[in-house]
Amino acid sequence: MTPIGPVPPLHAGTLQRIDAPLPKIALPTAPGTAAPTPGFGAMLDGLVATVDAKQQAAGALTRQVLLGDTDQLHQSVIAMQEAGVAFSMMVEVRNKLVESYQELMRMQV
Amino acid sequence: MLFSFPVNLIAGIDITAGALSANKTRLDIVAQNIANAQTTRTIGGGPYQRQVVSFETELIRRVAGGGSSLQGVKIGAIANDRTPGQQVYNPQHPDATADGLVTMPNVNLSYEMVDLITASRAYEANLAVVKSARQMAMKALEIGR
Repeated sequence: MTPIGPVPPLHAGTLQRIDAPLPKIALPTAPGTAAPTPGFGAMLDGLVATVDAKQQAAGALTRQVLLGDTDQLHQSVIAMQEAGVAFSMMVEVRNKLVESYQELMRMQV
Repeated sequence: MLFSFPVNLIAGIDITAGALSANKTRLDIVAQNIANAQTTRTIGGGPYQRQVVSFETELIRRVAGGGSSLQGVKIGAIANDRTPGQQVYNPQHPDATADGLVTMPNVNLSYEMVDLITASRAYEANLAVVKSARQMAMKALEIGR
């Protein structure tokens, strides 16, 4: 049975000294000085505006067909389909956003 | 605008729309030919002359979508068919000549029916393309689900 020897010293070199200065964390110097960057809100606004423009274009084409200004029925229906696809894409983007938000809210801190 | 869709969300739909327009015009011309199959008096004088439609390609350059250019279709020309019309003996007809002959339009109903079915089937084919392109776009949106 071997006797208990001296405890080997800790490898203090790899550990950080408590009294060492902490790395600086960049804090904003003063609130309101930086220019506000366009965020998700602006992007979503643009998305909704584009989808709305497509739907209005489709509506205008349908109106023209119904009023007899043009006989291009297929253009109207194609525009409606396109507006529908654009709307679906907007909904998909929104679903992804909500999903990632909920994922963040479930995160254990 | 910060976020904007491409001009056409459904791929290649502008080409198919042009083809649909062209085929619709062809159908209109067939309707005009059939409607005037008995017309012996026109604005230009003489009997109605059958009209034929020819298509020509149209280069659609898509700058935004990578610069690839595709060939669409449009109505190239609507020309008169120069075949002489059939002459029938009908002295009671107001447009008959002194010897009782009337020049009828050179419209052959069998040809017109063939053109009608061709235009109709071509329209259907292009509609199938529209349907398929839309399904592809919707399937692409289902990737993330």
